Amino acid sequence: MCQICGCAIDRMGEPVVVEVLEGLLAANDRTAAHNRAHFDEHGVFVVNLMSSPGAGKTALLEATIVALRDRYRIAVIEGDLETDNDAVRIRAHGVPALQITTGTACHLDANLVHRALHALPLAAIDLLFIENVGNLVCPASFDLGQHRNVTLLSVTEGDDKPAKYPVIFRASDLVILSKTDLLWLMDDFDPRRAAAALRELGRGTPLIHTASRRTPAIDPWVDWLDRELAHHREPRYLPVPPARHIAGVPAQHAMARSADTRVKA
Amino acid sequence: MALHVGLFADAHTGEPVGDSIRAWMQIAVHELSVCQALLIQVAEHACKQGAAAVVRITIECGPLSGVEPTLLKDAFAIMRLGGIAAAAELCVVPTVVRIECIECGGRTETRPNRLVCAACGGFRTRVIAGGELRLRSMEMRTLEPRPNYGRTRMVSG
Repeated sequence: MCQICGCAIDRMGEPVVVEVLEGLLAANDRTAAHNRAHFDEHGVFVVNLMSSPGAGKTALLEATIVALRDRYRIAVIEGDLETDNDAVRIRAHGVPALQITTGTACHLDANLVHRALHALPLAAIDLLFIENVGNLVCPASFDLGQHRNVTLLSVTEGDDKPAKYPVIFRASDLVILSKTDLLWLMDDFDPRRAAAALRELGRGTPLIHTASRRTPAIDPWVDWLDRELAHHREPRYLPVPPARHIAGVPAQHAMARSADTRVKA
Repeated sequence: MALHVGLFADAHTGEPVGDSIRAWMQIAVHELSVCQALLIQVAEHACKQGAAAVVRITIECGPLSGVEPTLLKDAFAIMRLGGIAAAAELCVVPTVVRIECIECGGRTETRPNRLVCAACGGFRTRVIAGGELRLRSMEMRTLEPRPNYGRTRMVSG
């Protein structure tokens, strides 16, 4: 009790400990959910492309646009520290591209994407690629509102990259081994070792091979996009958010598991 | 400030390095973003509680969160200045990576890049700990009561 006036406030000036238990990126996650709601409202399927610098994200997008522009309306958000060189390359294919220059920031976050999405004609887009800043560390921590994460690993890098950067490869729904037309030159890169390192991350993430330059060979990637887009467009009712977003487990396994439990109960 | 010189100095000679501020920003910048988000969150909670100053901030940070506790502490040392947490201490509680096997249900404590079941070797696992990045608790001081010493002024007409 207060000694002066007898009021009940007896902890004035004393340290107070408050338990919070809230994610540090809660604000970013809220903006990301808002972005996702915008995308879903307009039926846009969004893929976040990540890799180290120079793994071939822009080249893959160029080849993808050539292969798919007759079937889907495509747009691209480009993230780079400086220059709009990548956006110019994409626009040369007649596809809208928006450049975000981040200055010194090494990743895109949900706020930057939110500003960009209002500059895009969302109603006239089926497939939106967000080409993240070339970096295997920082982009992994920030949800942008995308539907799928895809990470490129070029054969001119090491085949142990998934073991070195587990956070980003674990966050991926698909890993693309790019520049495979150079594989015959790279005697120290073994795709089987790359696949084994990826499998050790415990998510069963598929690994596909692509080559985007000269004679593009990107069929597995195009098939994957077709499948995912078709799956995304299926009308469905989800009474609970997919467990994948909570525990990092592919949705079908989480569902299979809950079904098992129900049968036993 | 001495703090800045320490952070931006050459690791071997201790001399301040011209371009190293930019270099440091480049390396640690996603920890800077995380730190900024943390300070905003802390300020919001402090405001709700009517606190005058934040004394201690405790966060949980797992190896799979993608955030390096050392870099986060470095960023905090600078970014806390001028705010309600200017004198606060940042305690980072590290967590370990633990997985649960989807096939056999076995639980394993493991490394961030080896997330397969130790019991059955299953490649389908669920991460049950190690990905945390959250504010656990805050210790703060509320405003001192304004002394009145019983002299209540009465205004009579």
